[in-house]
Amino acid sequence: MNLSGLAGFENTFMQLALAGLLLLAPIVAIMGVHAVQMRMAFFSDAISHSVFAGVAISLLFNVHPQWTMPLFGLLIGIAIMAIRRASTLSTDTVIAVTFSAVVAFGLAIISRNPGITRELPRFLYGDILTVDTAGLIRLAVCLVGVIVLQVIGGNRLLYIGISPVLAAAHGIAVRRYQYLYAALLALVIINALWAVGVLLVTALLVVPAAAARNLAASTRGLFWWSFAISASSSVIGLVLSAQPWARTASGPTILLCAFTWFLFSLAANRSRIH
Amino acid sequence: MTDTCVNFDRVNVTRNGITILESVSASVPRGSCTAVVGPNGAGKTTLLLALLGQIPYRGTIRLDAPGSNSMPRIGYVPQRLPVDRGMPITVLDLMVMGHARRPLWCGISRIHRDRALHWLSCVHASTLAKRALGVLSGGEWQRILLALALQQEPDLLLLDEPAAGIDLRGEHLLCELMESVRERHGFTQLMVSHDLATVTHHASHVILLNRSVIAAGKPADVLVPHFLSIAFGLHMGVAAAPWLHTSREGSDR
Repeated sequence: MNLSGLAGFENTFMQLALAGLLLLAPIVAIMGVHAVQMRMAFFSDAISHSVFAGVAISLLFNVHPQWTMPLFGLLIGIAIMAIRRASTLSTDTVIAVTFSAVVAFGLAIISRNPGITRELPRFLYGDILTVDTAGLIRLAVCLVGVIVLQVIGGNRLLYIGISPVLAAAHGIAVRRYQYLYAALLALVIINALWAVGVLLVTALLVVPAAAARNLAASTRGLFWWSFAISASSSVIGLVLSAQPWARTASGPTILLCAFTWFLFSLAANRSRIH
Repeated sequence: MTDTCVNFDRVNVTRNGITILESVSASVPRGSCTAVVGPNGAGKTTLLLALLGQIPYRGTIRLDAPGSNSMPRIGYVPQRLPVDRGMPITVLDLMVMGHARRPLWCGISRIHRDRALHWLSCVHASTLAKRALGVLSGGEWQRILLALALQQEPDLLLLDEPAAGIDLRGEHLLCELMESVRERHGFTQLMVSHDLATVTHHASHVILLNRSVIAAGKPADVLVPHFLSIAFGLHMGVAAAPWLHTSREGSDR
């Protein structure tokens, strides 16, 4: 694909951003469908907000946040799943309690170091244009992980999403797949934060899947619509944001494109029902 | 090899300090159609969930597979399955997702499609294959869940209120369907029901439960005024015998 003729795409950072978004599109499309079907959208919010605690721990132990953020995100993802399985509390209550605890812990530690607070907007809003080759490699690893999970248990995850009790009765290792999915989702979210930041990363995951749910007529269609919406929103959003007349932030522009898809899907779904 | 498929031995379930099952001891004869009956809150569904390992319990539940030491294959038909009505998952997708490794977004192989259609035809539901789960009626859902359970080729088929939410005709059709499939495939059937008329017509063994076992045995020996009055209260015991054999009104969906 030759986009160098378009404004902004002669720059290497734009080309890297495009490559990153095209790697991210199938990842969020697939993981998003499962998140919507398993009602785990709020879960991804808790993971993304754990980034504050990840940064706080990096300060406490003097390690680079690049290591503490994914590790802590992974830990929180597995912890939420463990509490959810063991407790009679509803999932949203479990997530809300964990969510508040990690954000409070992170902000409490960060507030003691005024220097780091200047870095916070980077996590809050993200910046697609800062992706480097190492970031692309991490995304490629995530994509491989998602594909492997799909091959060994994508259909099983859908079954668990319908009813964990029914799936377990019919011989599916529910616990194993739930933990695998939670761990992979945590890693995907932490690695997607650079694109749109803590505030919008859940939307990146959920909006294409939610729009696809309105447009598809089968499970197969659900995944392909989700991918088409995710990829097209990424490319169109990045191109639009780079135009001199727009000059908007890339992440929010991409999500506005996805949201436009969602509005279209609502209208299409309504006309299909009537 | 024993002649029982399931044996409950002093099973106790307590939740939040409330005793739901108290020293339940009973057995399910192999090849039988066993019904667990009792009033609301008697612990019928809890007994099934304990059997499925979904809730903690004290005591022993022993499952014996025919002719081997392995665990029997279980097919389970739940009472209700809350589905996201807008999710575009079709009946065929649901039938395949528990068996096929190839992700559904890559399409369904002919082998898995044919296998799913075979079990759907067994419950007279082939025409529902392309239908979305969200638009199925109560009776259609029960048949799909039955096909899903039969697809496991179970040694033990567990049903939780299989007739809940369907009309009288649908209920009889479902029971006859289950009987004919059971005759062909020879599995043991354990169903939870509050409907004494259905149980009288279709079960070969009954466990009458109200937190603990009141009586167990053939329907004619168990569903008698004496035991029914203990399980359901005096009024039910007196009234039971006449209405056990009469029809009742039902409502669709």
